[in-house]
Amino acid sequence: MEMRIHLFAAGLAGFMFSVEAEEAPPSYEVFELMTASSPNDSRSKDWRPGDGITLEVSGMAWIDDELAISIRKGEVWIIGNPLSKNREEIAYRLFASGLHEPLGLLRDGNDLLVSQRSEITRLQDNDGDGVADAYLTECDGWNVSGNYHAYAYGPERDGQGNLWVTLNLGMGPLANNAVGWRGWGGTIGRDRKFVPKALGMRSPSGLGVNLEGDMFYSDQQGTWIPASPIYHLREGVFYGNQESTKSLNDPAAPFQMSAIPKGGTPYDVALRSSKEFVPPAVWLPYNKMGRSTTDIEVIDEGGKFGPFDGQLLIGEFTNSAVNRVFLEKVDGEYQGACFPFMDGFPAAVVRLSFAPDGSLFVGMTNRGWSSLGNRSYGLSRVSYTDELPFSIREMRARPDGFELVFTEPVDAASLGDAFEMSSYTYLYSSAYGSDEIRTKSHEITDAELSKDGLSVTLRVEGLRPLYVHELSANGLKSVRGRSLDSPKAYYTLNKIPR
Amino acid sequence: MTVPIERSFGGLTVFAVAVAAVCIFVPGAGAAPHVVGYERFHSDEATAEGGAILFSELGCAACHGASAAVVPRQGPRLIDLSQRIERDWLIGFLKDPSSAREGSTMPQMLHGVSNSEVEAVVAYLGSLGKKTKLKPGRHANAERGSALYHEKGCLACHAPTPDFRSPHGDGESLTPALAIAHPDFREKTSLEALAAFLSDTSTYRPDGRMPHFQMDAQEAFDIAAHLIDFQGSDPRELKGVAQWPDSEASLIKQGKETVTRLNCAACHELPGIASNEIVPLPESPTLAGGHCLSEDARPGLPRYELTGGQRESLKLFLSSERSKEDIDGKLTLAAMNCYACHDREGVGGPLHDTDPFFIGDESLGDSGRLPPPLTGIGHKLQADSMKLLFEGSDESRVRPYLNTQMPSYPAHAEALTQWLQAVDAKPEAEELVIRPDDIESGRKLLGIHGGTNCITCHHWGEQRSLGIPALDISSLDARIRPSWFREYLLNPASYRPGTLMPPLWPGGQSTVPDVLEGDTERQIASIWAFIKDGQGIPEGFPERSGGQFELVPEDRPIIQRTFFKETGTKAILVGFPGRIHLAFDGSSGRPSLVWRGRFFDAYDTWFTRGAPFEKPLSEEVYPFDEGGTESRFLGYQIDQSGAPTFLLERNGGKVTDSYRVEEGVLIRTLTWAEGGEPEVAHPAGAVVETARSGRTLTLTYSWK
Repeated sequence: MEMRIHLFAAGLAGFMFSVEAEEAPPSYEVFELMTASSPNDSRSKDWRPGDGITLEVSGMAWIDDELAISIRKGEVWIIGNPLSKNREEIAYRLFASGLHEPLGLLRDGNDLLVSQRSEITRLQDNDGDGVADAYLTECDGWNVSGNYHAYAYGPERDGQGNLWVTLNLGMGPLANNAVGWRGWGGTIGRDRKFVPKALGMRSPSGLGVNLEGDMFYSDQQGTWIPASPIYHLREGVFYGNQESTKSLNDPAAPFQMSAIPKGGTPYDVALRSSKEFVPPAVWLPYNKMGRSTTDIEVIDEGGKFGPFDGQLLIGEFTNSAVNRVFLEKVDGEYQGACFPFMDGFPAAVVRLSFAPDGSLFVGMTNRGWSSLGNRSYGLSRVSYTDELPFSIREMRARPDGFELVFTEPVDAASLGDAFEMSSYTYLYSSAYGSDEIRTKSHEITDAELSKDGLSVTLRVEGLRPLYVHELSANGLKSVRGRSLDSPKAYYTLNKIPR
Repeated sequence: MTVPIERSFGGLTVFAVAVAAVCIFVPGAGAAPHVVGYERFHSDEATAEGGAILFSELGCAACHGASAAVVPRQGPRLIDLSQRIERDWLIGFLKDPSSAREGSTMPQMLHGVSNSEVEAVVAYLGSLGKKTKLKPGRHANAERGSALYHEKGCLACHAPTPDFRSPHGDGESLTPALAIAHPDFREKTSLEALAAFLSDTSTYRPDGRMPHFQMDAQEAFDIAAHLIDFQGSDPRELKGVAQWPDSEASLIKQGKETVTRLNCAACHELPGIASNEIVPLPESPTLAGGHCLSEDARPGLPRYELTGGQRESLKLFLSSERSKEDIDGKLTLAAMNCYACHDREGVGGPLHDTDPFFIGDESLGDSGRLPPPLTGIGHKLQADSMKLLFEGSDESRVRPYLNTQMPSYPAHAEALTQWLQAVDAKPEAEELVIRPDDIESGRKLLGIHGGTNCITCHHWGEQRSLGIPALDISSLDARIRPSWFREYLLNPASYRPGTLMPPLWPGGQSTVPDVLEGDTERQIASIWAFIKDGQGIPEGFPERSGGQFELVPEDRPIIQRTFFKETGTKAILVGFPGRIHLAFDGSSGRPSLVWRGRFFDAYDTWFTRGAPFEKPLSEEVYPFDEGGTESRFLGYQIDQSGAPTFLLERNGGKVTDSYRVEEGVLIRTLTWAEGGEPEVAHPAGAVVETARSGRTLTLTYSWK
């Protein structure tokens, strides 16, 4: 049976970000361990922290039951009893200080590895007094011009044991991207030197590894980066930002590019013009999914964080939110969909880390930019309430459409007027971000519900490779009568499966 | 199973219907034009002065000439209306302005005009402008917008929102009766259009009646979200301005003819249409007979729904001897509503209702929250600086503690400045007699060591005051006149009653008799001369204040990595309790410099996004000499006392370089692997003692 569907003006319908469906009990609850006592004026030239520890979270690592946290002013704190819901039982102990804007923290045996602007540092407590007494250079070798934006992120360990580091481009006064691997990602070499592996990054502030052990990084919309992407990080590829190509002149460059893609062209056209240029596994469309992606954290909690094991959670700065990403492999490459997941955090979400009990620690700091959160910084903990949310758990590409997998059975009667789809791409250019371009509505000619009610197979006319396919599922209900936590999903269809 | 899919019905159509349904035109309460300057000062009793304000602000002068206001009233620029204004709202407004916006000063112009002719006028208006694309919606935050709206100065003219709690209030919302009403913004316009208007007010409203506030794009969207009552976040949840239908060229032409006939160009800038010649005022004005002052103005003439008092006032004004000089000062200030914020010669200033909304730094008393008085302002401020102020220059924002912002009037900066400078000129004012030799005494007087303690309250350039944050006095000479400065210092309260500024020369007698022989005139002139000279800072500031994050090593050394001016981007700073400090360069593996005294202020390292380079909090700086072996830096270890040992590598051999401070000397210990003795450089000016023992070298640095 074939039907016509007409898409309404995209983007007009309001949608809920919140995990809490209006009529359903909440599936997640949030406990604030700490928020800033200062008001949120974090762009002010005279910004001052609040009382107590300036917990501008920039990195998190678990040491058994304790949580180590790096903060932007250059300290590492160890939090005792982090799982207590009595704030007076939660203890904060200073472990290291005097670091230069650390933005990543990783446990390595008995040590901690922490990023600083000019190096990755190994922190050791050799005399066992609970305070670091050795600050050893674990990796350096990139240019630090003194430009404030030239951050270093990581390290993060992939499934093969490689430690990955990403280097922000410089922007503004003193910026120098001509030398020293700005806009590159790489690993820590045997000689403790940075080993450049891939280029084209702008503001790669988040690293994370999936269950297969593959490394991913997030970038942020800006020059050459039309919207916020999540990329599979690996050697020998170019992610689009041309500022970073200047380091190709370095004799240590691991490869040369066959062609530099031309700016001012639609993204799919640009991608085809250079064999090193790869698309993101997932685009997070601007505004719709937030504006500045940050950390990546895989859910591997055996159901203790809800029905999303194996998926990635993505921190969102400006919207003070957390988004969700489902990935699959088509023709050997990752692609998939993103879904709005949770919002309303008290400050910009910068770091995510799962606790041993399967709850999610959310580290926040606004300073220097701004977010919807009305606090300057803080640390929150999100726990699953065992109340199953009604969500599109997975969105999988098919040769002629998509398969949606739900967390609970769908009410067949609600399918009638539910689905709409449009697709678009972006302009690849040196401009700051891009509008969605070449937007097209797609007819959904068939929507078939599986016998168990858990999946719907959509047949969609005119799928376009390399385009974002935006799905709306308004009005869809579960058999329990619940509405979707988010009726929106955005699938980055790099390849159409055969 | 295959499930049939039907077309869904989105929210847009429903919304559009709702909008259309509201556009019903019921003239009624609030029909009379609302002119704040008239309502505040002249509505109790008909007066010629009140009439003069109305004559200016109702646009009478646009057709009749002869307004005494310095800045003539104009209509808004009618550009890009089809992008910015809902067509239905505009039609309602044109038919009856005050029903679309209560108290509008736009007269009814289309009475007696057929509906088809109204359509033609609207078609013509829709054709104006360049169809500039509005900036797409930003993420908007109505809560922040509400805070800005209520603090930035909007309340000088507009009412607080009903649910807003006054910062000083008892929970009661205030509704100033003088407030200029808003239209229903949702019916009139869109979030993007309103934000564009707020960002660039002087383009749309060149006559400054809605003045331009400096704000960034985000602030404009936030305030617009508040005004339009959009509590969501993604602007795409809102509709834009509904598409105007295309119009035939003939219809546009017909509309243009009507607009020309009605002389709309007298008030509004319209391309290719000149305003009609000035219509002389009648010798003896009358309220009857179909003229614009009467209730039944003929078709083709503007019809105002004036109150009886307004009519009488206009009549009195028109019958009076219209001597420009008598009234133009107060008239202009009232017309522009400067009086909403400023007092001048006892007239105006915040009202009982609006006063609580003026907030700022309470440690400065009322001066910390209320805009300054304008009494004698043309004498106080130099012409150039006054013009910059009207133009909205950042340099003229000298009172950062006021939450209320002085808006700008760029189109009229020149005229307003000339007028104020002329009306307030004081040619008889006593000028200062500057003696160059007295400049150093000015420095002493500004300071706290036997001076008049100015810096206890006042900032000085980058230096924050020692106490309350009164305005920066380091460049007063660029703003104010020396004769005003003298008068003010002699009696601050005469200019600003209630000021916290004490009279430091009470009765003209100096409180500091041992400086310049206690000569009041010489003292004041010396302070001015020191400010004007621009060299040096007053006595008594700490070496560098403003930090509040100065690191002071007390029990143990403090180590901090940072960008350091003398050392570079891999500087490791070590501060010792013994007040000798070290910067080590991680990029060369060499010590970079030593300094004595205070360590450094970590504010910029810890809390500034821009990460500026730090510097020593001391002038006693001793760089290490050139030379010395470069090594690869491998980190550092901290011993029990907190002192660092730098770990280095040179040609594959390990080197260590340790530092500690004991009794006023810096002790440095180097060790190396067999055959790897490094060359060593020493800090400038140091007396070096050397002790050697095998592969260990101990150096003791001291300074006289």
